Amino acid sequence: MDFTFSPEHRALRRLIREFVESEVVPLAAELDREHKVPYETMRKLGEIGLLGVCFPQEYGGMGAGETGYCILMEELGRVCANTAVNVGAHIGIGAMAIYLDGNEEQKRKYLTPLSRGQKIAAFGLTESNAGSDAAAIRTRAVREGDSWILDGGKVFITNGGYADIVTVLAVTDPVLGPRGGITAFIVETQWDGFKVAREEDKMGIRGSSTAELVFEELRVPHENVLGKVGEGFVTFMKSLDMGRLTLGAACLGGAQTMLEACVRWAKTRRQFGEELAHKQSVQWMIANMATEIEALRSLVYRVAWLVDTGQPFTQLAAMCKLYGSEVLSRAVDMTIQIHGGLGLTRDFPVEQAFRDARINEIFEGTNEVQRIVIASNIFQEYGVRIRP
Amino acid sequence: MDASFLDLLMAQQEEVSEAEGGGGGIWVVADVADGAVAPVTLEAIGAARTLADAVGAYVYGVLLGDGVTDLAQSLYQAGADGVRVADHPSLARFALEPYLKVLADLFEAERPEVVMFGAAGMGQELAPRLAQRMGGGLIEHVTAMSLDEATRTVQAAFPIYGGEYFEIAACPEARPQFFTVEPGAFSAPFMDPYRKGEPKPVEVEPVEPAMREVGPAEGFEPPAVPLSRAPVIVAAGRQAGDFELVKRLAAALGAQVAGDRGARDAGWVGPEQVVDVREVTVAPKVYVAVGIRGDTFHNAAIEGAKFILAIHPDPTAPIFQVADLCIEADPKEVLPALLKALS
Amino acid sequence: MKIIVLLGRVLDPRGIMVNRRRGRVFVNREEYILQPADRCALEAALRVKDAIGAEVVALPRGPLPDDDVLRLALATGADRAIHIVGQAACDDAAWTKVLAAAVERLGGADLILTGATTLDTGQGQLGPRLAEALGWPQAVGAWAVETDGSRVRAIVRRDGTFVALEADLPAMVTVAAGALKPRYPDGARLINIYKGVGEIASALEVWQASDLVGGEALKPLLERRGQDFPPERELGTRITGTTEEIARAAANALRERL
Repeated sequence: MDFTFSPEHRALRRLIREFVESEVVPLAAELDREHKVPYETMRKLGEIGLLGVCFPQEYGGMGAGETGYCILMEELGRVCANTAVNVGAHIGIGAMAIYLDGNEEQKRKYLTPLSRGQKIAAFGLTESNAGSDAAAIRTRAVREGDSWILDGGKVFITNGGYADIVTVLAVTDPVLGPRGGITAFIVETQWDGFKVAREEDKMGIRGSSTAELVFEELRVPHENVLGKVGEGFVTFMKSLDMGRLTLGAACLGGAQTMLEACVRWAKTRRQFGEELAHKQSVQWMIANMATEIEALRSLVYRVAWLVDTGQPFTQLAAMCKLYGSEVLSRAVDMTIQIHGGLGLTRDFPVEQAFRDARINEIFEGTNEVQRIVIASNIFQEYGVRIRP
Repeated sequence: MDASFLDLLMAQQEEVSEAEGGGGGIWVVADVADGAVAPVTLEAIGAARTLADAVGAYVYGVLLGDGVTDLAQSLYQAGADGVRVADHPSLARFALEPYLKVLADLFEAERPEVVMFGAAGMGQELAPRLAQRMGGGLIEHVTAMSLDEATRTVQAAFPIYGGEYFEIAACPEARPQFFTVEPGAFSAPFMDPYRKGEPKPVEVEPVEPAMREVGPAEGFEPPAVPLSRAPVIVAAGRQAGDFELVKRLAAALGAQVAGDRGARDAGWVGPEQVVDVREVTVAPKVYVAVGIRGDTFHNAAIEGAKFILAIHPDPTAPIFQVADLCIEADPKEVLPALLKALS
Repeated sequence: MKIIVLLGRVLDPRGIMVNRRRGRVFVNREEYILQPADRCALEAALRVKDAIGAEVVALPRGPLPDDDVLRLALATGADRAIHIVGQAACDDAAWTKVLAAAVERLGGADLILTGATTLDTGQGQLGPRLAEALGWPQAVGAWAVETDGSRVRAIVRRDGTFVALEADLPAMVTVAAGALKPRYPDGARLINIYKGVGEIASALEVWQASDLVGGEALKPLLERRGQDFPPERELGTRITGTTEEIARAAANALRERL
């Protein structure tokens, strides 16, 4: 057993930390306040190769593996949930689907500019009637010669408002449904028939675009079918597995920041003649937080190691997402409590962290769905098939 | 009563003398700024005097420049036993090679035990070049010195991470021992008006500088430092009174201007200049709080400051609990006097 | 055009805590970074490379226990890096000999750049010492460096204003910390240099110090004699007296700390 990071991963973390401190931290409050997408940051991240951190170098990536990607997300989550969300949707699910099941030509054409940040990706799964129940999607794709005609729409698509490329899941055979009747497509947002219908105004992650997309007779060439016709559902589920792990990594970074903020404040703030640090109630909160963070850290990087060494990880990735989002939610809650009134003020970053944290229990599969995934995996080991 | 006879008497008694060709000694190379010997040079002579007295050595000052001979007396007054003056038009402005030539020739002949420079400006260029040329050790930015008397070795402390702590080092064998002395680290010596002497001129052989100064760097602006990383900050609060004076104090200290939320409400500073945990957290070497009461949010944001000077009329203001130095007075009265004292 | 940059590492000060009362330095997080001023020197070299083309060679500014800063330099755009190993800790005077020999073995250079001061010890003597050993002109604490291939122009601060200096090459220029905003290394190059794959892997060489200079010559001149800690901060000291007395005391206290 070796729990140390390799020299290249340590060097990568130094690079990322330096980058986020001078490029991401100064914008963190502004993105939230102005409801702005960190477009410039995405471009800069791409320039030095970080948007392709886990992709092979022949497709413009860095080749730092899933561990490298988790380091990126942890460091982004540490300082700016919004940038983390943008990057996560771009790499972790948007580009990931192309990386996992795209053919050589698709990877050259799409993955390379995505890795270098010249194009931004989004992941089009959720619909108004299908979210956790992904198999219930209604967007239709009908073959017409060398093309497919897409009709329908997607909702709550992260990066949807400014993405150049969206991977879209559509029904190609309603009879077969998820077993052979659902296909993934690579859609360029500049094509006729693609429309951003609305941008959501949200409680948290306000520095990210959450858009409703509409497809009206959107013509997609057959070469843009991602993976095999009818197997899109599997492609998307595999992408989500990867996304869940790195979402846990971003939560890890966020929770770590909360812990540090609490310690700093407990050291400064005096009540009843002594610093909060000397209050047992505060000590317990901090001890609990730190313990959970360490457990999460072990989980995140263990799963990253499983991915990098080609071992099965679906169930553990779901645990990462479930546990990570809940550790972060508890951490922001305790952080507000320790900061008292200050924690509620708009000008102090804790309030923003509290609003930004909530989404993690929802997107990339709600925590309820994660529990289903985990439970069904466990029961399967004992020969029991549970119904979703 | 007329006491001028005392002047005569003292002057005769204090005509200082130097060693007769024995070599050695502690040598201080003077910085000259605005037609006067720089304070750091006098401080270095004071420190040299203390060391020299402990082992019975002589202290020498060296002046380089154009028309600097008259400045020799202040080196004597500060404690020098002898002064060498290289007074030549080619030395009017500092340039490495001409200065280096004079000093290398001088020290080659005199074989000093110790050579000190001010740790600013030319000392930073000359000390390492001379040390390298003469095979001596060099410790830069020295803030304290003590003597290992048995080996006549100077032990010098220099700041680590800008003064978080100090390392002490010495040059036990190689001679001369070179030091650059941090300005302000040693106290200014008593200037004895009755000490005087006759400086010896040094022959100057003009040398062309290899690195030529071609003139002011027109239009060059150094990159801006964000408030969070500024080394010196002067911040105003509600009780600051006259913000113009605060700005002048900042200019005098080479500091960035900031304020608390009160200063922002008064329209003195923008939001990016507000020191407060909810806005900007700072960690300067020196933080001057002018008329800032200091609520928890402000005080938590200056936790990283190394030295805090607070000026506020209310003795109960919480800023005084976190300040190193406290002035319980109205800034309107203190600032003009402080500006005068700093000029 | 060949440019040599001298690079060193420093313990990230955010990871240390100094306990003045106990007179100890606690290292909470042992993380080393490239000396910030050396980083600016590297940036200056790369800007010359961008402008007129140059081979940039990175050398250590002292004995380095690991080669992280050299790998960082390669990932950032240096063409070649040489790790000089086999020498225990020594001072700048001894290391100057190693560097002078290394410069000679490299067939000389047109420009040598390094940081004007180190972040931790605040020492700036390495650059001028090496310039003296090579007999080159120097500019110390430059805020900008330009060259056309035959002359170098540096902007330095003198007596509170910025002045331009010029010299014929070869020359030594030490660069002030914070003078230039350094670029980021390229991620893929960074990974490759550690994994040892691709062309970049052969850009990192290892030389033995003993091949450059005989062991006896490397005896340091300086000797460490201990540590000292500033007194614990005493908060709340009141200055009293007339306004003039207060102002004088405050002015002295400020001057002492600037």
